[in-house]
Parts: sequence; structure tokens; C-alpha cells
Amino acid sequence: MRRTYFESPIVMTTVRLVAPFALTYGAFVTLHGAESPGGGFQGGVVVAATVITVAFAFGVRPTVDWVDERVVVGVFAGGMLAFGAVTVGTVLLGGAVLQVDLLPVSIKYGIEAVEVFIGAIVAGVVTSLFFLLSEGGDGE
Amino acid sequence: MTVALELALVVFVVSTAVATAVLRDIVASIAVFAAFSLGISVIWLVLQAPDVALTEAAVGAGIMSVLLLVTVAKTARASDEGALVSVNPRALAAVGLLLLVLVSTVPALPEVGSEEAPALQKTVDGELTPYGYYVEEAYNETGVENSVTAVLVYYRGFDTFGEATVVFSAVVGVLVALGGSRRWGEE
Repeated sequence: MRRTYFESPIVMTTVRLVAPFALTYGAFVTLHGAESPGGGFQGGVVVAATVITVAFAFGVRPTVDWVDERVVVGVFAGGMLAFGAVTVGTVLLGGAVLQVDLLPVSIKYGIEAVEVFIGAIVAGVVTSLFFLLSEGGDGE
Repeated sequence: MTVALELALVVFVVSTAVATAVLRDIVASIAVFAAFSLGISVIWLVLQAPDVALTEAAVGAGIMSVLLLVTVAKTARASDEGALVSVNPRALAAVGLLLLVLVSTVPALPEVGSEEAPALQKTVDGELTPYGYYVEEAYNETGVENSVTAVLVYYRGFDTFGEATVVFSAVVGVLVALGGSRRWGEE
């Protein structure tokens, strides 16, 4: 495989500066989806894009080691399980699918919680796809 | 002014789309495709769909380009001479015909944001349409100001659960295919 990583102090410094703000924006878009455009899908993608930006600056291999793929898999699997639990749980409580007003929180926070689960799924999945496509396979 | 901007946007999107199709170098094609996505996301904004615009900018222009580039980096890159692919005239004619048919429907569309648009009618024959219901009731019922989110998670939550499952299944498939070793990328 061709060498695809070039170390650049300019890129590294820029990413170091931008990454915290981008992560905060991802969290904002996810948590603020009830009041403004955005939600779990968009916020999750922004978080994943931040991880990918870090990987471009510091190399994919160190980023995979730093983030740890078990964490990434745990994030999207946990999000899926939680989303599934809410979906099945609301039915078991005698309501319609995702009738979150049956949960002991206000509808708004129920919806926000589901958005966070969606965000976890999307962020984990997109990060995994990137890690797997660039570092997975036959271990080149 | 707005019309000029919109025209410029359409010209930009169409030319990047054509360039994506005819450029021979895949990496150049991906780069132009990212620009196309960015143009489309601005068009979504013009059409007053900020949720879709945000998704298009993040997924279309950002993530898709990265995933495509990473995949191309792992596979072969065509090094044929000539910057453009040769275009099959019959395929071009077929595409042109389809385009003509599609464009012929455009004059029948209502103006953007027009109150007469069928999709924006709150009632039909005195009965509340789904759009009317969401606009009138979504805030009262859920307390969520962005009705797109209310529809996505609350009214159409089952669909969203299906979507999340599709995304989840896709990554499980890629994991099985590429993530065989204990640590990804290590034998």
C-alpha cells in the first residue's frame, strides 16, 4: 500500500485547536435537535467526522489505538441496545412503538434520549466504517 | 439577487455532477463529488430544509468522500491517459431523453414555499392533513420546537428505529468482512 500519512505540524496544530469545538458542536447538534435543526443523525456524523479529522492529522493507526475499537463498537452497540430497549419497552408498557410519554420523563426528554442513542449509533458506525476501511482487512 | 445566486448554484451543481461522471481519475471524481454535495446542501438551505442541508454537508460532502477516498487508496487507481472517460453516445441520448421528461414536469411544480402547494395544505375538505396535524399539534403534544425532530422520533419513531437498524446491520457486515483479526488491522 502507498504511504498515505504525512506528518504536518500545521495540520496537527489546527486539528488540536478545532477538534474540541467540533466535538462540542456535535454534542450541541445532538442535544439541541428538539429546538433547532439537527439531531442524532447529524450530531453523530459531526462527532465521527472529528475523529476522522484527528486520524488525518495524527495517522489512522495511532488514532485507532488511542480511541480503541472496543470503545467504538461498544458505543454503537450500546446505542442500538438502548434504542431497542426504549422501542420494545414502550410496547411492553402497553403503548405504541416509541410512545415515550409512558417513560418517567417528559416527552421532550424522552425524544432527546432517543436522539442521543441515534447519535451514539451513527457516531460509532461511521467511525468503525472509517477505521475498518482504512486499517482493517488483511492487515496491510 | 436571490435568483442570480440560485442560478449560480444550479450551474455549479450541474457542472460538478457532469464532471463527477466524466472525469477518469477516481480521486478527482471524488473531490468534485464532494463539491457537488456541498452545492446540494446549500440548495437544501435555499429550499428551507436545514435538517437535510446539515445531513448532506456532513454525510455527503464529508464522510462519503473520506470513505470513498480510503477505499480507493486501498484499491487500484486507473492510470489511463486522457482526463475524461469516453461517453457512449447512445447512453448519453437515453439520459438526455430521461432528463427532458423530468424537466418537462418542472413547470407544473408549485413555487418554493408557495401557500398553494399541495404538500403545505393544512386541511383538505375540512380534514386535517398529516402536515397540518404536525404543524398544529406537534408542539402541544411533545413540547419539541423542531417539528422535524418530533416527526422523526415520536410520530415516525418506528421508521427511525428501522433506519438505525439498517445502519447497525451495515456496519456489522463490514465488521465481519474486514474486522476478522482480534485487533483491527493487526494479524
